[in-house]
Amino acid sequence: MKGRLRHSLALRIGVMFVLVVALAAAGLGTYLYRAFVAEIERRDDIQLLGKLRQVQILLGRPGAADLLHDRPEFFRDTMSGQENSLVRFVAADGAVLADINASGERYPVPPSAGPAPQRSAIAGWTSRAGDPGRVVAGSARLDGSQVTVVVARAYGERSAMFAGYRARIAAAAAVSALAAALLAALVLRRGLRPLRVVAEHAALVRPGTLAQRLAVEGAPSELLPLIDAFNEMLARLQEGYARLSGFSADLAHEFRTPVANLLGQSQVMLAQTRTAADYEQLIASNIEELERLARMIDSMLFLARAGQDEVVLARQPRDALDELRKMADFFESMAEERGLRVTCAGEGTVLADPALLRRALANLLSNAVRHADAGSTIALRASQGAGVTELSVANDGTPVAPAHLAHLFERFYRADSARSDAQGSTGLGLSIVRAIMDLHGGSAAVHADGARICFTLAFPDR
Amino acid sequence: MSILVIEDEPKTGDYLQRGLAESGFAVRLVRNGRDGLAIAFDDDNAIDLIVLDVMLPRMDGWQVLEALRANPATAQMPVLFLTARDEVHDRVRGLELGADDYLVKPFAFAELVARIRTLLRRGPVREDALIRIADLEIDVFRRRVRRGAVTIPLTAQEFALLHLLAQREGQVLSRSLIASHVWDMNFDSDTNVIDAAVRRLRRKIDDPFEPKLIHTRRGMGYVCEVQPAAAA
Repeated sequence: MKGRLRHSLALRIGVMFVLVVALAAAGLGTYLYRAFVAEIERRDDIQLLGKLRQVQILLGRPGAADLLHDRPEFFRDTMSGQENSLVRFVAADGAVLADINASGERYPVPPSAGPAPQRSAIAGWTSRAGDPGRVVAGSARLDGSQVTVVVARAYGERSAMFAGYRARIAAAAAVSALAAALLAALVLRRGLRPLRVVAEHAALVRPGTLAQRLAVEGAPSELLPLIDAFNEMLARLQEGYARLSGFSADLAHEFRTPVANLLGQSQVMLAQTRTAADYEQLIASNIEELERLARMIDSMLFLARAGQDEVVLARQPRDALDELRKMADFFESMAEERGLRVTCAGEGTVLADPALLRRALANLLSNAVRHADAGSTIALRASQGAGVTELSVANDGTPVAPAHLAHLFERFYRADSARSDAQGSTGLGLSIVRAIMDLHGGSAAVHADGARICFTLAFPDR
Repeated sequence: MSILVIEDEPKTGDYLQRGLAESGFAVRLVRNGRDGLAIAFDDDNAIDLIVLDVMLPRMDGWQVLEALRANPATAQMPVLFLTARDEVHDRVRGLELGADDYLVKPFAFAELVARIRTLLRRGPVREDALIRIADLEIDVFRRRVRRGAVTIPLTAQEFALLHLLAQREGQVLSRSLIASHVWDMNFDSDTNVIDAAVRRLRRKIDDPFEPKLIHTRRGMGYVCEVQPAAAA
């Protein structure tokens, strides 16, 4: 379950989506909050400066000194709704002329900023209740003498308002994240539907339904590469499966002929009393069929093992021309009987398992001798290329149609079905050649030029 | 020479017994490993070699082989095992357990006889420098071949083939054995190749002369010998 969650695409995208929304909401909220706070503070500061200005003007009036002395609260009350304002008048010699400070707050006194202080002259302080406060000092003239006016204020109600505002912003961000989560779940469910459709289709694939393909229409473009790859895989599987079942069918058919011969000729022979020579003839003929069957079984097993990489290679560097000469020598008598000449040319070193190399070459030569025109030449050639050594066997014979060429290495494939001579050929020789080359990491190729057909084995040098 | 065949498959056992007996061996056939061991351990039977099938009921070939090797009386007795499964590890296992040779079913009977003769080192292989069969004379070192007064020029390949057949005069040699010995081709290759090579050798050695020396044993292989005039 844990693994499933961790690997759920929808969950991952959903979580990321919610995170993005929450971050965006929080960011926006913080920005708006900061702007709001700055604006409020600016306005409060301007109000503070305005109050200072008002006090300065009041002090300039005639009789202000008496008023200050007799009714100092008048100055405070002048600023209606500003009961919390703290005002202090300080004479040039430092004597406090009046201090309006009902709650007994202690605040620092900044230096006087002259008759017209700017916002920059305002200093901050903290009230006893812990609220932020602001204070500014300016100069005024009182009855011809210089006094300093200090105006201060604590903003208790403002802190509470800010706290409320912050809470609302946090709530809004949380709500939008939650909404985003819900929305994401909904959207992803819909958005990932094509994936589920693909999975449902894929789940229906069976050996018998390999011909089906996943629908490309209506699929989102992001899924197209996956669907294409999947369909290609299906095609390859279908081909392999068809080849395998075709192979089994071919195998049964290939076995049928020799077995039918064995059965038939033995039964006919036993139906009457024959001479010893007849029986001998029969048994010898049976042995020929049986040897062919044995060779087929041997080849089949070899192919099956090679296909599962169960064949152990003992690679050795060999002189390529030397190997070709040995092979030519082996086939010399047979070639001579058919009026064929075998030539060897070229040079190079081939890195191969000697037994398998010979088996591959023998199969190619046996094929060449069987199909070459009488009196023609079979040419064996070795050539050292870049990183690869090529051995080729070429002969002249009845031209093979290009359509057949590509299939020559397939099991039991015969370009000319009439040419399947009962002697020797198992129809597996060339597929064994290809299997041997696959084991070596090399390749077997064939190309035809009119009557000339050439098989080439490419062995990699390492 | 006495051979013990341990083989449970009825037809295989029967033809092995018959064929080996006809090849000049005294053959005892048993159908399971226990009986086989009892006979092998008994000195009175004087068994020289055992042909052992791997797939046996109750006690399989491997166990028989181990028991044979564990007993001092039979530890050195040559054992040739027969198997229908020629997986590499099967072969390795057999040889590790002390088998001397193996054959994968199906095999040519002539091949089996040849292997048995090799194991017994009693096969009439003639290592002579000069081999004479009727009026055929093979000078092995000079690589010269004559019939009567006529010197016959042979290619290296033809000489090797003739030498192999003459060395084992009277033994039927299978095509795969010939391919392996003369050309070092150790796989079932195109058998027509061997037939063509023998035909060519015959044209030089036999066609112009009497008696004929190289004979075809249909379905078996080739043999070099002087056959009674009646058969010719």
